[in-house]
Amino acid sequence: MQSNLEKQEIAKFLNISDEMALFSDIPAQYRKKEIRIQEGVSEYEVLEQARRIASLNSSAGMVNFLGNGIYKRIVPASVDSIIGRSEFLTAYTPYQAEMSQGVLQSLFEYQTFMSELTGMDASNSSMYDGFTTLGEAVRMAHRINERRDILIPENMFDDKLKVINSYLSGLSVRLLTYRVDQVTGFIDLNDIQSKVSKDTSAIVVEMPNSYGIIDENVLKVSQIKGDALLIAYVDPVSLGMLLPPGDYGADIVAAEGQQLGIHMNYGGPGLGILTFRKDYIRKSPGRIIGETVDNKGKKAYVMTLQTREQHIRREKATSNICTNQALMAIASAVYLGVVGPTGLKKIAQTTYVNSRKLKNKLSSLKAAGVPQLTGKPFSDVLIKFRTDVSQLQEFLAEKGINGGVPLQKLAAAPILIRNSAFFTATETTQENETDQLVSIMEVFR
Amino acid sequence: MSYHEATYDEPSIFTFRSGTTYKVPGSVTDSDIDLPQELIRKHLDLPEVSEYDVVRHYTRLSQMNYSVDLGIYPLGSCTMKFNPKYADKIAGMEQFYDVHPLQLASTVQGQLRIMYELQEFLKELSDMDAVTLQPLAGAQGEYTGMLIVRKYFEVKGELNSRTEVIVPDSAHGTNPASAAMAGFNVVEIPSAEDGTVDLEALKAAISEHTAAFMITNPNTLGIFEDHIGEIARLVHEAGALLYYDGANFNGILGITSPGLMGFDIVHFNLHKTFATPHGSGGPGAGPVGVKANLAEFLPVPIIGKDGDKYFLDYSPKHTVGKVSSYMGSFMVLLRAWAYIRFHGSDGLRRNTINAVMNTNYLKKKLENKFKIPYKSLKKHELVLSTENTGKKALDIAKYLIDNGVHAPTIYFPLIVHEAMMIEPTETVSRMDLDRFAEIFLESADVPEEELKKHPVNLPIGRPDDVKAARDLKVRWFPEK
Repeated sequence: MQSNLEKQEIAKFLNISDEMALFSDIPAQYRKKEIRIQEGVSEYEVLEQARRIASLNSSAGMVNFLGNGIYKRIVPASVDSIIGRSEFLTAYTPYQAEMSQGVLQSLFEYQTFMSELTGMDASNSSMYDGFTTLGEAVRMAHRINERRDILIPENMFDDKLKVINSYLSGLSVRLLTYRVDQVTGFIDLNDIQSKVSKDTSAIVVEMPNSYGIIDENVLKVSQIKGDALLIAYVDPVSLGMLLPPGDYGADIVAAEGQQLGIHMNYGGPGLGILTFRKDYIRKSPGRIIGETVDNKGKKAYVMTLQTREQHIRREKATSNICTNQALMAIASAVYLGVVGPTGLKKIAQTTYVNSRKLKNKLSSLKAAGVPQLTGKPFSDVLIKFRTDVSQLQEFLAEKGINGGVPLQKLAAAPILIRNSAFFTATETTQENETDQLVSIMEVFR
Repeated sequence: MSYHEATYDEPSIFTFRSGTTYKVPGSVTDSDIDLPQELIRKHLDLPEVSEYDVVRHYTRLSQMNYSVDLGIYPLGSCTMKFNPKYADKIAGMEQFYDVHPLQLASTVQGQLRIMYELQEFLKELSDMDAVTLQPLAGAQGEYTGMLIVRKYFEVKGELNSRTEVIVPDSAHGTNPASAAMAGFNVVEIPSAEDGTVDLEALKAAISEHTAAFMITNPNTLGIFEDHIGEIARLVHEAGALLYYDGANFNGILGITSPGLMGFDIVHFNLHKTFATPHGSGGPGAGPVGVKANLAEFLPVPIIGKDGDKYFLDYSPKHTVGKVSSYMGSFMVLLRAWAYIRFHGSDGLRRNTINAVMNTNYLKKKLENKFKIPYKSLKKHELVLSTENTGKKALDIAKYLIDNGVHAPTIYFPLIVHEAMMIEPTETVSRMDLDRFAEIFLESADVPEEELKKHPVNLPIGRPDDVKAARDLKVRWFPEK
C-alpha cells in the first residue's frame, strides 16, 4: 500500500483497503507476475548512465561529410531556447483554441513561411518527416485525380521508395520509373514524355535530385506533363537561392525540414513539409491552422478543415495522421525568422560554393580520374572512382571522417556510375576539413 | 483563485522590420554562383527580423499557451503526464543529438544501445516478442501494424479474401483511418450495454474475410474489456489477428499486458505512457511490438546485439519494408528510455496504480452531479455525459479553461452524448484533483446563458470556426 498520505486519503475516500481492488476487473490469468526490468534509480544515476552510453558514440570527434537528406547545419541558439520553453514543449495539440493562441499563431506563421519558401499557396502545419510526406503527397495526388500511374526518377533512394511503397499499400497505383542521364545527372525529359499518358496521376521530381545535382530539366517538366500533377521533393535550404517549385509549376511540394534549425538527431525527429496549390486543400492530409475572429471580432486562430481528419471522418479521412511535428515546425519558423531571407540565401550560396570546392578537390584525386557528372551539385557531391568504393565509408571512419557513402548503398547504381560515393558540404564545412579529407583520400585505392 | 492567461496583441512575425542581426560565416556573393539565371530565385518574401525580436515574439506567443508544466491537462486518451526534466537534460546531450543517421554502426554504439534496451523494455512490458522503433507516432504505429497484417495474409495467400478490419464504435478515429489507409474495409460494431465489446455483435461481424480486430484495452470509456480472452479466441479461431491500440496502456502497464491478453500486434505511444513531451502536437513515437510469428514482417532495420556489439538488423524475411525515413524518432526514444530507467519495474507499476486511483477519485467526485454511464470501475480515464445537467459539454469545457485548467477531450467517444473524456494521469496531486473537481461541479450550477459567455480570461473569446473553414485564410498576407 501507498506511503503517500494523499493516496491513502484517496483510498479511504474510495472505500478500499487494498489498492489492487481497483484492478478487480482484470481476470487473474492475465495478471502480470513480474516485470523483468531493473528497479528505478535516482535522477543522478540515470543521467550518469546516459552519459556513459553517450560516450560509446565515437562521432563527437569525427569530421562530418554525410548528408543525403539530413544535414549538419548551424542551429542558432535561439531555436533551441524557444523550443525548449515548456509552454511549447509540454503542450498538447491545440484543441482548446482560446488557451492555445500562442502555438496556433506560431503554426500559422510556419504555414506562411513554408508557403513563401516553396512558392505555393498553402501549407499544412507539419507532417512526420521527408519520406513519409512524399508518400502522403503521392496519395494526395491519387486522391485528386484517381489515376493509376506515378512517375518517379530511377535514381530515387531505396529507402524513400520503400516508404512510398508502404504508403501506397492497398491503392491501385503503379510506380513507373523514368531515366536519369548518367553523363549530366539530369532527368531525361524525353523518357518522361514517352511515359506520360492519360493514366498518369503525378510526376515526382527531386530538386536537387538524388545524385545531388541541381537539375535544369526539372524546370521543364511542367511543359510536358499534360494534366498530370507535378510533385516536387525539394531541399528547403536550397530555396534560399534556387527557383521555388511554385515557379516551375509544382502542384504539391514535399520536403524534409530538418535543415531548418533542427539538429541531426540521428534522423529523428525531423520535419515533414507539405505545401500545395489552394485548389487541393480539401484533399490534403494533416492539420491546418486558419485565421478567423472571436465572438468580439478579435483576430483568432483555430485548427480548421478538421472534417478531413481522422477524429471526425474516421475511415473516410484524407489521412490517419494525428500527432504531427508541431514543435519542429515551430523550430523552423524561429530558424527562418532568425536567419531571414538574406541569411538563408547566404547559407544556400555558401553550401553551393563549398560543395563545388569539395567536388573540384575530390575529382582531382588519382582514384577519381574518370569523367564526373557534369551537373552541378548543391550540397551532396557524388564522386566517381576508378575502383570499388563499397568499403570507403569504413576506410574513412577509421581515420575520423564520416562520409563516402557508396551510391549503391542508397540507390540502384547504374553501370556508368557504379563506383561512386557521396561527400556532402554545408555552410559548416571548413576548408581544413576538406583538405584533411582529400589528403586521406589520396591513399585510397 | 483568480486566473488570467498572458495576453498580447502580438503582430505577425511577417510585419517585423527590425533587420536581421544573424551572422553566417563565410563571404560568398552572387557572382560566386555560376548557375543559369533561370534557376536562380528572384525574390523571397520573408521578414528581416533581429534575433532579439524573434526571441521576444515567440516567447510572448509561448506565454499564450497552456501546458503540462502549468497544471492538470486531463485530455482523455492523451495521457498528458508530467514530462521529467532529467529526460530533457539527456536529450540535450550533444553526443546524442549531433549524430547522422547514415553513420556506420561502429560509430553509433551509444544510440544503438539505447534503442536496443528500449526494444527490450517494451517487449517485457507488453509481453511481445519483437519490437520496431521506426513508426513516428501512434497512428503511424497503427498503420505499420496494418501493413504487417497485410503482409502476413499476403504470405499466407489469403490477402484477397481477408479484406475487412473490425473496430468497435468506441475506437479512436485513427483506428478506422489507419485500416482504411492500408486498403482494408472497415466494419464497425456497436458496444454492449456495459460499454464493452458486444460479443454477439463481434461474432456476427467476424468471418473468413476478417483480417484483424483493432481494440484498445482499457477501452475509450476507461473500462477494462474483461471478455478479452473470449475476444482473442473468436478472432484467432477465424484466422484473424488481434491488434492492440496502445493509447490507453497507462491504465494497465505493469498489471497486465497485451501479450498476456492474447494480442498479436501492439503499438506504444511513447509521448503518452512514457512521458515524452508532446511538443504542442508532436513529435511523438509509435513503436510496434509483435508476437514471434509476426517478427519476420517488421520494418527494417531493427536493432540487434551480437556479444557486446549492437548492429542494424535487416534480417526479417518478409519485412514490410520501411515506414519512415530513418530509424525512428531517436530523441523521443531516448527520453522514453530515460523514463523507464528512472521509474524501473517498481515505479512503472506504481504509476499505473496511482493513475487509476486518481481516475476513480475524480469519478466519485464528479458523479455527484454528472451522469457517468456504463461500468463503474474505471482505469486510466472516465467518460461522463453532461446531458443530465442540461449543459453542453462544450460550454463546460470553456468554463474549465477559463478557470486555469485544461478541459477534457469533448464529444468523444461518439457513443456518449455530450461526452467529456477525462484522464487525470498519476502526476496530479489530490489538491489539484480537488480543485479541478470543484470547478467542474460548479459549472453544472452556472446558468446556461452565463456559461456561454466563457471564456473571458483568455486572449480570445470563442472563435468562429465556421468563418475559418469558409474563408480559409491559412497564411499571412500583407494588409492591403
